[in-house]
Amino acid sequence: MATNETTVKLDGVSKSFGEFTAVSELSLDVRAGRVFGLLGPNGAGKTTTIRMIVNITAPDSGAILLFGRHIDSSLQDRIGYLPEERGLYKKMRVADQLRFFAEIKNMRGKQVESKIDEWLARVKLPEWKNKRSMELSKGMQQKIQFITAVIHDPDLLILDEPFSGLDPVNVELMKEIVLDLKRAGKTIIFSTHQMEVAEKICDDICLLNRSRKVFEGSLREIKSSFGRNSVAVRCEGGNGVLDDPTLVSKLVRHADEAQVLLAAGADAQTLLKRLIDSGAAIGKFEMVEPSLNDIFITKVTEPA
Amino acid sequence: MKKFLTVVKREYIQRVRAKMFIVSTILLPVVMSLFLLVPAIILSIETPPMRVAVVDQSGRMYSQIRQALSNDQQETAAQDVNSGAPRTTTTPRRSFARFNVEEVSATDQPLDQIRANLDQRMRARELDGYVILPPDFLSEGKAEFVNRNPGDVFSLQALQSAINRAAREQRLIDAKVDTKTRQELFKPIELQSVKTGGAGSQQANSNAGFAVVFGVGFVMYLAILMYGQIVLGAIIEEKETRIAEILFSSVKPFTLMMGKLVGVSLLALTQLAIWGTAFGLFALYGVGLLASEGVRASIPNIPFLHFIYFGLFFLLGYFIYATIYALVGSMVTTAQEGGQLAMPIILILVVSFYLFWPVSRSPDSPFSFWVSMIPFSAPVAMLVRIVTQTPPFWQIALSLLIGFSTVFVIMWVASRIYRVGMLMYGKRASIPEAIRWVRQA
Repeated sequence: MATNETTVKLDGVSKSFGEFTAVSELSLDVRAGRVFGLLGPNGAGKTTTIRMIVNITAPDSGAILLFGRHIDSSLQDRIGYLPEERGLYKKMRVADQLRFFAEIKNMRGKQVESKIDEWLARVKLPEWKNKRSMELSKGMQQKIQFITAVIHDPDLLILDEPFSGLDPVNVELMKEIVLDLKRAGKTIIFSTHQMEVAEKICDDICLLNRSRKVFEGSLREIKSSFGRNSVAVRCEGGNGVLDDPTLVSKLVRHADEAQVLLAAGADAQTLLKRLIDSGAAIGKFEMVEPSLNDIFITKVTEPA
Repeated sequence: MKKFLTVVKREYIQRVRAKMFIVSTILLPVVMSLFLLVPAIILSIETPPMRVAVVDQSGRMYSQIRQALSNDQQETAAQDVNSGAPRTTTTPRRSFARFNVEEVSATDQPLDQIRANLDQRMRARELDGYVILPPDFLSEGKAEFVNRNPGDVFSLQALQSAINRAAREQRLIDAKVDTKTRQELFKPIELQSVKTGGAGSQQANSNAGFAVVFGVGFVMYLAILMYGQIVLGAIIEEKETRIAEILFSSVKPFTLMMGKLVGVSLLALTQLAIWGTAFGLFALYGVGLLASEGVRASIPNIPFLHFIYFGLFFLLGYFIYATIYALVGSMVTTAQEGGQLAMPIILILVVSFYLFWPVSRSPDSPFSFWVSMIPFSAPVAMLVRIVTQTPPFWQIALSLLIGFSTVFVIMWVASRIYRVGMLMYGKRASIPEAIRWVRQA
């Protein structure tokens, strides 16, 4: 789909609850047909931002445009929303439940039934169609909840921590489904604080911290703007060198190797030379891209 | 509107299909009829009649007493009592106490001897008690009842009242009042309550009206007691299951809450209709049974318009209180919390029910006017006014308008509290917080 089209546009949006400012002066663009990662630590304002996009709360100031229009309740039917706080009617059968969620989005008729079967097959739960949801395991319920958000074939899908509580096999299955939806031209806003997941499926990201936007852009741009200033090192000895703050700004030791973030002004050549000079036995010395996790932690812990 | 109907449909179908609903629909009438039947069965357990001897020293009272006691027992045959051999009589319907009376001559022996004999017979269980009427009984009005069980107040009362009537009769006979005059004197009067300006056909109208208003009020009370909690639970359901946020991305909180309220209310009406039909058939059967025995039961003469008012004010009363339950539900996070907060609702309901009496005494007073305009007391108060002195139509319409507008306002307030409460992640609202939430939401 056209990648320059904007599905969601926020312009100077602020929202506070009494004394507490949840979102301040936030502007961002979610481009059509892409996966947009809304990232940030707990309490950064992700959920409040999403709630304003789906018209659950109104911003105190600023404008929100959806599909180029100001939000109203008729646009709600084009959105699928899977909140972090989610559940199912305990005593309702799975099919009745899905039918209800489809109808509440104004979807009617025979297509509802075929969509129910199609989606249950897709998440590999067709035999649970007539079971009550309280009989389902937590992971199965998660998958049913996911269907409630997508059954009416929304153009914009908003997922808030969609994979929490799923085992690795199911995370993989759901990730594939999300990427399929993207390939089908849907726009997806993906909110999480699990950076490894975001790194794998997001095209664009926006990092929020303490109600403010820290940065926004495509994942590629962000990674390259951070530069290749990260080194994976495996060596014996040379501890004094790795602890030198003029060379290394951050050191993370894993089981048998260390992740080194170079200090400003230092370069990898100097670090390698110093290590050799100190007599360390080097098993591995590799320039690596910073992980989203590193970027996230660096940015969030940076003094404002 | 479509979404509203979707919510109503889900609420209604899920609940009407539930086992609880089916069980309670069947069980409640059974329990109710047990409440009526068990006392009737217990009261119909036969106890043998009380054997009482009468020592009539005045010499003129015995036959009157026997007649008075047998009048109590209607057709109770007491012809054989003189033989001293008590025999079972036909079951008396009205009196708890039954008697077999016998006369003991007061002239054959001295009183002490008679007492001794009777005491002897009581010890031998041939007799349960005896009455001694002294010679000056008719003037002094004092008698003595010796018995084994002074705690049996029912028998004592029945006996006292019978002797009382007997004495009155005998005193009138002594005063030379003839039988016909005596009957005329005690003929009961009949007071007919007739509406001013009403034609003859309107007589006894307001009596039947009262009964129906009372019935409507009672069913309303019952419906609120039973369904108020269900409304509360239904409102909390989306919070407890954490579905609220998903739904609010599709429907407005007001639509959701209205849909739930209407869904539960349709359920209430379904159940009441089932019971009403069952009761109606039962009553028809009963009327038919009575008719076959020659008793004529008439259907109360009430104008058709009044039935429409009964329906409207019943709905108003139900919805006013149901919405308060919804309001409570919007503020709390669990049904238990809600149950406690709901207690004052019952209190208001009971108070409004007691207004029945002052309003029926002066249906046109300013007091009656105002309580029939206040939504919480209007349903009962206005219905009482309608069946007594029907107020002008504008007052009835105004009362309904105020009432149903209040329902909408309460639901609107509740939906705002509900939404903010949900955004705060299930925090329970204190009253001042709730007020602030309504303003800021």
